[in-house]
Amino acid sequence: MTDLNRRHILGLAATAGLASTFLSTLSAFADEKELVIGGSIPLTGVFAFAGVAIEAGISDFVKIANEAGGVAGRKLRLAYEDTAYKVDQSVAVFNKLTTQNDIHLYYGDSTGFAKTINEELNRRGSILMAGASFGSELNNPEKYPFQFMAGPDYVEMIAILLEYIAKQQKGAKIVFVNSDTEFGRDPIEASVKRAKEMGLDVVGQIVTPPTAVDVSTEILKLRRANPDFTIFHGYVLAPLPEFLSQAKQLGLKSRFMGTFWSMDNSLWANVGAPADGYMGVMPYRYYYDTAPDAPILEKIRKLRPTYQATGYMQGFLTAMLMTEAAKRTLEAGKALDAKNLKASLNTIKDFDTGGIIGVPISIPGNSVPVGRIYSYSAAEKQMKPASDWISLKK
Amino acid sequence: MRIATAKETYVADEGLLTTNTQRAWMIILALVLVLAPFVLNAYWLYLACLVAINVASATGLNILTGYTGLVSLGQAAFMAVGAYAVAFLDGHLGTPFLLNIFAAGLVAAAVGVLVGVPSLRVKGLYLAIATIAASFILHFVFTHWVSVTGGMSGVNVAPARLFGIELASPFALYFVIVPITAVMVLGAANLFRTRIGRAFIAIRDRDISAEVLGIPLLQYKLMSFALSSFYAGVAGGMWAYFFRVVTPESFPFATSIFFLAAVIVGGLGTILGPILGAAFMTLVPELLKYVVEWLGPVFPNAGAALSPVRTIVFGALIVFFLVFEPQGLAEIVRRIRRFFHLWPFKT
Repeated sequence: MTDLNRRHILGLAATAGLASTFLSTLSAFADEKELVIGGSIPLTGVFAFAGVAIEAGISDFVKIANEAGGVAGRKLRLAYEDTAYKVDQSVAVFNKLTTQNDIHLYYGDSTGFAKTINEELNRRGSILMAGASFGSELNNPEKYPFQFMAGPDYVEMIAILLEYIAKQQKGAKIVFVNSDTEFGRDPIEASVKRAKEMGLDVVGQIVTPPTAVDVSTEILKLRRANPDFTIFHGYVLAPLPEFLSQAKQLGLKSRFMGTFWSMDNSLWANVGAPADGYMGVMPYRYYYDTAPDAPILEKIRKLRPTYQATGYMQGFLTAMLMTEAAKRTLEAGKALDAKNLKASLNTIKDFDTGGIIGVPISIPGNSVPVGRIYSYSAAEKQMKPASDWISLKK
Repeated sequence: MRIATAKETYVADEGLLTTNTQRAWMIILALVLVLAPFVLNAYWLYLACLVAINVASATGLNILTGYTGLVSLGQAAFMAVGAYAVAFLDGHLGTPFLLNIFAAGLVAAAVGVLVGVPSLRVKGLYLAIATIAASFILHFVFTHWVSVTGGMSGVNVAPARLFGIELASPFALYFVIVPITAVMVLGAANLFRTRIGRAFIAIRDRDISAEVLGIPLLQYKLMSFALSSFYAGVAGGMWAYFFRVVTPESFPFATSIFFLAAVIVGGLGTILGPILGAAFMTLVPELLKYVVEWLGPVFPNAGAALSPVRTIVFGALIVFFLVFEPQGLAEIVRRIRRFFHLWPFKT
């Protein structure tokens, strides 16, 4: 009897799998009047917190754009799947979505995926891609001709921090702390060089394992170096709260700074008091910003009444910029291929993002080198602007 | 009910395929594999290649863990060695594709022998920890030996070329990856018809008795490590040509667990096990995506809302198979075969 049950269950499982495959193949369709944004988005795995927000951001942009009549007469549609933040799965999703849909715009989930799929993008020559990666390597229009990022690359993010520091305190002492990952190491070498050129004093570099929990030895190194500013990169949250609380206990005078992925408001709200004064570079306005020149944030708040993470803004703006490139290409009567899309993207000059970024932006290359310094206020439980918008000049 | 399969010679008894039914099925499988690329779209071809690469590596791990009884969690690191070897040979020396793949296997085998040295003193979980340590050391080497590995940003690999044809798409690569994997699986199946393979099994069953039988443990354990990492190296080499970029994060530690899980879910110590296990572990998450997609019309925002459920279902499926099929997926196939052998009698 047990045998029979087991076989039945196994048989049913196999039938269900096959049936769903068959049915979904039937449901795949392509509409001439559509503009499909494909997406390898990490809805599970270590980067899920960002992926979920990114998906919400792109979906909302698609909704708002369609309500406004679409793009050059075409309706936008987001076709995406979960990648679990694994390169092989991201590539599988790319292959799957591009066979099922006529895709010219694509959102990728990691630097690894962007590098892996680059040759394929060049070979196809029909897709413009952007994504969650701000890897400085991707900010190279010659090597990555059909990709861009909706913000500054990691080197540019730290350059924005350095500009701020140089204005605050001439010759300030700096320590870089990064995780021992591709993400963490990305901007360090270039940033150390840049800091020295700007007359800042780099007094130390600390590398931690990506999953470090105990940071007491690193804190001792930090105490010996006694910097005015400590710049973290390559972390989302842990072990930054541990660093901050231990540094406060030891009475270190250093101010602590980070880059985009460690700047989400809700992450720091849970940390509480030790987070007070944590600063960092943020290319976009926060969800709750009620600046008069940010009408799009008002719309977003109406669509989603609760706080949306920074990934939301990133996804929203990425979709906005790639759609703008498609719009310009279609309006010029050109074919929707990667070359035309990228050329149209590069014509974006002094573009109003509806307030997501506080200044008009231009995309001459692969990045948008603009950002603003925010500082966390534990009392108000919010990231507050600490500087005006800083645009890097090449 | 099958009758008249009595073997008259030892050679016939040792044959890989002993009945005409088996031969017929094998011909059908070969035909399906040959025709598949002309029927499947890019997505399924991509998955087919990925499954083939994973099968090659899982088969290697099965030689070590399933047949020799040495638990290893270093398979991903050995694959990475193979992938870097291919990237280096292709980029610096420009040697031909097949030679690079073979050399990748040899380099990985050499590293595997080094890693395998502690296996004479330690077994079981202790050996597993030793292989984990080795993979961390190798990860450090990949990150810091910048002149060879390109450091954290890794190295790009040019498309494979064979007889002047560029193998850039999954369609083209399918015709090399699948045959290489087929040869490797065939090699593994044959291995256990030789003295070496049987020595591995003897070591697994009781290493002291094996030594008493005259099997030099160190030599055979290292040979098992070498063979296993050769398979991983070749798989890693094919991986490098398939994804065309190798970074230290291409083969995370979780990949080693993936292969161990594939071998266990498929069936330890069987040739069919790692094939089914690797296919299961690679394809089921993808097939579950279809279920999510299928629920799209009835479940608003299915993609975002159901993706976490999908991973839970995948995990639950693994537990389900371990509980109901402790001997792995290969046992299901064996039971089906037995059913037809004995039909119309009950098994």
